[in-house]
Amino acid sequence: MPLNIDIVQILLHMLNFAILAGGLTLLLFSPVSKFLEERRRHFEELERENAEKAAEAERLREEYERKLAEAGDEIDRMRAEAEKEAAETARRYLDSAKEKAGELVSGAEAEAEARKAQILESAQTEISELVLTAAQKLISSSGDEEHTRALYDAFLEEAAGEERASAERSDGR
Amino acid sequence: MKRERNRKKTVFLIVWLAIIVALLAAVLIIGLPGERAETIAETMKDGVLHDRNRVSLFGLLDVSPALISAFAVTGILLFCALLIRIFAVPRFRTVPGRFQAAVEKLVGFFGDLAASNSPHKTGFVAAYIFSAGVYVFFSTLFELFGFQAVSTEGTSVTLPAPLADINGALAMGIMSFLVILVAGFAVNGVKGGLRVLKDFSLPVSMSFRIFGALLSGLMVTELVYYYNALSFLVPVVVAVLFTLLHAIIQTYVLTTLVSVFYGEAVEPPAPSEKKKKLKGNIKS
Repeated sequence: MPLNIDIVQILLHMLNFAILAGGLTLLLFSPVSKFLEERRRHFEELERENAEKAAEAERLREEYERKLAEAGDEIDRMRAEAEKEAAETARRYLDSAKEKAGELVSGAEAEAEARKAQILESAQTEISELVLTAAQKLISSSGDEEHTRALYDAFLEEAAGEERASAERSDGR
Repeated sequence: MKRERNRKKTVFLIVWLAIIVALLAAVLIIGLPGERAETIAETMKDGVLHDRNRVSLFGLLDVSPALISAFAVTGILLFCALLIRIFAVPRFRTVPGRFQAAVEKLVGFFGDLAASNSPHKTGFVAAYIFSAGVYVFFSTLFELFGFQAVSTEGTSVTLPAPLADINGALAMGIMSFLVILVAGFAVNGVKGGLRVLKDFSLPVSMSFRIFGALLSGLMVTELVYYYNALSFLVPVVVAVLFTLLHAIIQTYVLTTLVSVFYGEAVEPPAPSEKKKKLKGNIKS
């Protein structure tokens, strides 16, 4: 053959390469490719998980924001309600206080009236007692006219003083 | 005081090394006595044809040393793969360390290349171009180590890159073509297979591209190593230019071509204009 081409040697080279190719594929190419593929899949998985987590986080954030807004509304509503209730309560208290005050005033007036009547009555009793005492004294010492006059004057004075004190007392009420 | 002593020491070391290097270079450039096993013409011819320095394969068959290289590369690569499989792969972490990142990059590179050029039925071609890529790259670098074997004539012969041998390159091209052809038949039936056969020049072009590229590297390397005077510093440049760069470029070209043609063979009928255009660009 020209150029020393030798079929047997070509076949031997092929055999050699076939052995090498099979061996390298089994020992190196397949395991490493498998490893690379697994790692690629692993990272894809991670990426997918991360994307899912991010989406989940975004969804939660939106939900919380929505809830927060809802809570704000709720708080506003409750506050308004509470304010209304407080105003109502205050009004009720005021009303009852006014009512009580009215009652107290009218009670006091009635009492004062009763006391006045009572005082007048006791004054009248005292006057009649005084008159009675005076009459008795007059009867017991009806000697001279001058003495009688003095007694009379004294009675009158006492009666007037009594009257004045009673009037002052009732005015003080 | 101490600095003074250090400086003296440094000067002494530099002068000493310079004298040794100069003497060694003088000896080598003037030429060691001794005979050459072959002339430069013979070396070059043998580099291309591999007709003289043959190596016995377990006493069964005399083969080109490139085949021995191929077996050696396969053995080393499989051993390394086994070590990685046993010790490194079970300890792979989600966040890779340096070594793990390198292995992942290697596998991921061919996986991505296959996926981008052949969106359908990617798994098989990815495994194939991974193996082919690793083989082309490391077998080309193998040349750098300069392992020796004993030829049938009893002389020492440096193991070349397997694909610098025409048989190795042809094997690679034909096998890649067969892979594409079989995939075409398997996925798209007779029509798919015929569509692949239309590109019958593919195995030849793939084989000879890789053969030519690696052979040129081999020729230049042989030339450089033949003369002692060229054996200083020049091999660094030559090794990088013709071995490392070839390894990278040929790996990339072969794997890209295979994945593109494979992708075309297995894609569902009614190919798009874009694909045709891409293929045309790569061919030219």
